[in-house]
Amino acid sequence: MEIKDFIDNFASNFDETDTDSFTPETKFRDLDEWTSMLALATMAMVSEEYDVELTAEEMRNAQTIEDLFNTTKSHL
Amino acid sequence: MDNLLSLQGKHILVTGASSGMGKVFAQMAAAQGARVSLLARNEERLKVTLESLEGEGHDFCTCDLTEDDQLTDIVNKIDQLDGIVLCAGINDFVPVKFIKQEKISKMFQTNYFSQLILVQKLLKKKLINKGASIVFISSISSMLGVQGTLLYASSKGAINSAVRVLASELANQRIRVNAICPGIVKTEMLSGTNVDEDVFTKQEALYPLGLGTPKDVGGAVLFHLSDASRWLTGQCMIMDGGFTLN
Ligand SMILES: NC(=O)c1ccc[n+]([C@@H]2O[C@H](COP(=O)([O-])OP(=O)(O)OC[C@H]3O[C@@H](n4cnc5c(N)ncnc54)[C@H](OP(=O)(O)O)[C@@H]3O)[C@@H](O)[C@H]2O)c1
Repeated sequence: MEIKDFIDNFASNFDETDTDSFTPETKFRDLDEWTSMLALATMAMVSEEYDVELTAEEMRNAQTIEDLFNTTKSHL
Repeated sequence: MDNLLSLQGKHILVTGASSGMGKVFAQMAAAQGARVSLLARNEERLKVTLESLEGEGHDFCTCDLTEDDQLTDIVNKIDQLDGIVLCAGINDFVPVKFIKQEKISKMFQTNYFSQLILVQKLLKKKLINKGASIVFISSISSMLGVQGTLLYASSKGAINSAVRVLASELANQRIRVNAICPGIVKTEMLSGTNVDEDVFTKQEALYPLGLGTPKDVGGAVLFHLSDASRWLTGQCMIMDGGFTLN
């Protein structure tokens, strides 16, 4: 599992944000487009791509894309 | 005057009785004198509910409602019923882009198909007495458009439609069929979904009478089960502490 692919998958749920600038350090909650729906979409993406079911708590604890990547990885 | 709300002498089946609202409904029905049969998957938690019931003669059956053969077993074991509370249910928030056949099936299997099959099997074996009351626990979600609730809301919407048809088909036996559509109720379900519990608790401000408790809804369930509601059928009662007034 590569962080680069993870970022691409993460970015695929966005429609408005310029996702080219996404890095592991991106604090996704600070993005204008971030909503509770995008949180659900992110969890659904992780489930679909990595077969990992993130909990609401794990989602809440993650601040950066890398945090999410690491949490997902820890389930593999 | 007779106590219209009494459930004395009635045998009531409560599905989803191992947790949340179903557990409290079972306790309240027993306190009104009913003999209660409990149904859910988790035996340990069903035993806890059973032990908490007032009165004698109650029992439980473990059953995964989505398994047809387990449903058949239950129907072969259970005796005549005067009331059924269909409270078992699941929730899962899925944005439309991520819906899959598998997710649709799981939601509808638990929240809708299994409930119909249970009622069908009980009717076929003539296990539902004349004058009995069937109460579905639907949800206010079925009437709103909350993001992420497509599967859940439509499974509950299907119940609302089923209630009217069942009520009309069963009226000649004086079997009444209704649904209750609660707003947010503080139960285990809120911490068990893929949405942060805060999302629900933050809604409290939008509820003029505050978020609901299982007991709040239980009052309406007792009314539906009792002879006090003997002229009520085919209805979906919204119970949401005034949420939809806004
Ligand atoms: N809480 C709310 O805000 C709210 C609002 C509106 C409507 N509702 C509805 O109210 C009902 C009760 O919800 P709750 O909040 O009390 O939820 P809960 O605490 O999660 O209880 C759900 C119950 O359903 C049972 N169940 C789930 N899948 C089952 C299956 N396949 N076979 C048999 N039993 C199954 C569970 O038992 P086991 O795990 O032991 O099987 C549990 O007893 C649900 O239909 C829900 O949709 C809830």
